[in-house]
Amino acid sequence: MEESPISRGFRPKRQEQTPTDRVPPGQYVTTDFPVLSAGPTPHIKVTDWTFALQLGGSLLGKWSWAQFEALPQTTIKTDIHCVTKWSKLDTTWQGVTFDDLLKEVGLSEAPAPFIMAHCDGAYTTNVPVADLVGGRGMVVTRYEGLPIAPAHGGPARLLVPHLYFWKSGKWVRRIRFMQKDERGFWESLGYHNYGDPWKQQRYDGD
Amino acid sequence: MANNVSDLALDGNTAVRLLQDLFVADITLAQIRCEACNAVQGVGSLATYGTPMGAVLRCSCCANILIRAAQTPRGLWLEMTGARCLKFQSLHASFKLGASGLKIC
Amino acid sequence: MTVTDASSPSKRLEWQLAEVRDVVIETYRVKSLLLLATGWPGHLPGQHIDVRLTAQNGYQAQRSYSIASPPEDDLLSLTVERVDDGEVSPYLVDELRVGDRLELRGPIGGYFVWTAEKSGPLWLIAGGSGITPLMAMLRHRDRLPSRIPALLIYSSRSLEDIIYRDELDAMVGRDANLRVVPALTRQQPKAWTGHRGRIDRATLAAHCFPPAQRPAIYVCGPTTFVESISSLLVELGYDPFSIKTERFGPSGG
Repeated sequence: MEESPISRGFRPKRQEQTPTDRVPPGQYVTTDFPVLSAGPTPHIKVTDWTFALQLGGSLLGKWSWAQFEALPQTTIKTDIHCVTKWSKLDTTWQGVTFDDLLKEVGLSEAPAPFIMAHCDGAYTTNVPVADLVGGRGMVVTRYEGLPIAPAHGGPARLLVPHLYFWKSGKWVRRIRFMQKDERGFWESLGYHNYGDPWKQQRYDGD
Repeated sequence: MANNVSDLALDGNTAVRLLQDLFVADITLAQIRCEACNAVQGVGSLATYGTPMGAVLRCSCCANILIRAAQTPRGLWLEMTGARCLKFQSLHASFKLGASGLKIC
Repeated sequence: MTVTDASSPSKRLEWQLAEVRDVVIETYRVKSLLLLATGWPGHLPGQHIDVRLTAQNGYQAQRSYSIASPPEDDLLSLTVERVDDGEVSPYLVDELRVGDRLELRGPIGGYFVWTAEKSGPLWLIAGGSGITPLMAMLRHRDRLPSRIPALLIYSSRSLEDIIYRDELDAMVGRDANLRVVPALTRQQPKAWTGHRGRIDRATLAAHCFPPAQRPAIYVCGPTTFVESISSLLVELGYDPFSIKTERFGPSGG
């Protein structure tokens, strides 16, 4: 294939970073917060919002917004990494840890090894429970101290920052426990089933 | 972030380019019937979501996902289970789509 | 320059090099690039091209731009608005000079196209830089011997943001069958008697071709603009299939 000629004076806006202990390979750091959605942004009234944990046909727990806000709150500062190559450092989130959700429904451990997060707009993403417990996963409602904007997943989104950010499903409504792993929205369309940014697991087969 | 079907997504792979390589006729001129609500729309008029990870075309009436596509290093994934059929103007046939997704590499 | 049939895009488009022959300042943030692309196959009004830039380190960036020139012109015209913090548009608007070369491929798009063969009056609704593909249509119409009735409703932030202002004034001046209705959404000169604020249902009802005339309708601009105008048009009784839309999304820059 013929090489493209250099465009005189053109400089790329973003430079790929050398991987450091904070920036995974192939990523660049941004101070923006790009929005990527598989559908139009839903505008959800918190008075209509509910969140549930589900196993098979039964609900393990269900919360209204007021009830969810009354659960033990945890704040974390973390880095997030999108499969489209941007990384954002030192983002602050507040919400309820997966561990606390299990405690709330009276479980000392998860009833199944996998979950599927079900979100508005028919978006789904699958995560192993091992990647949610021990503080690794949360359902968050605040970003930088303020309610999460609808475009960024508000009123509540999943947060699993050690995996590519498509796993942190926006507009999460239900976490369904699964005995067998099933692939979610992007995972069934050629993206990696697990999505570890440190191993550059972007696509299936990586 | 919705763009026109004919707009740029990621690295030049727009929804059109993702789909166009698979069809002889201009995909933007096709009409598509939603399997959820039966509405018929021009593919070219649909908003494209999901860029730059892939392309998601939704029914303008009921937001049902009609077509999903993603270009990966190992091939192009295309799923059209939300569409009951496509009608191309320049061909004299309609295609009916089965219940399962297709993988085209 | 001949008009080609764009209904069979089965051929893979090849990249080609075009030379910048002229740069025209349209507004304080918009320029038109006039390009000579030898071997250009011709295009239809409304189609666009892909532009590709290559940096020294091999990094490439690609964006789509509507062709603003009609098929009759020898030079291709791209009208580019500088997007703040963009990657490609600041280069095209601020850096590119006459004599530089630009990689492009096209023409692309068979959907958002107008030619005189289409029946019915021509109704164009533009939001900001969405005027670009519609201008190709108007310029093409201007070359035709017959004067197809046409109406352009053009929404801009302020008078200074109106692209092609003098050219549109001149077209209206010599063509009784062309109406141009500007709407200024953010700032208006004191003596402004034109429309103020966003285009709404009343604006469309006041300046239109009635549904019975079955106008060919083209709406182009930012996504929210296009979707709101389309809904209003459907409410006003226009057949959704007669409304063609092109959304200028935020993916470019």
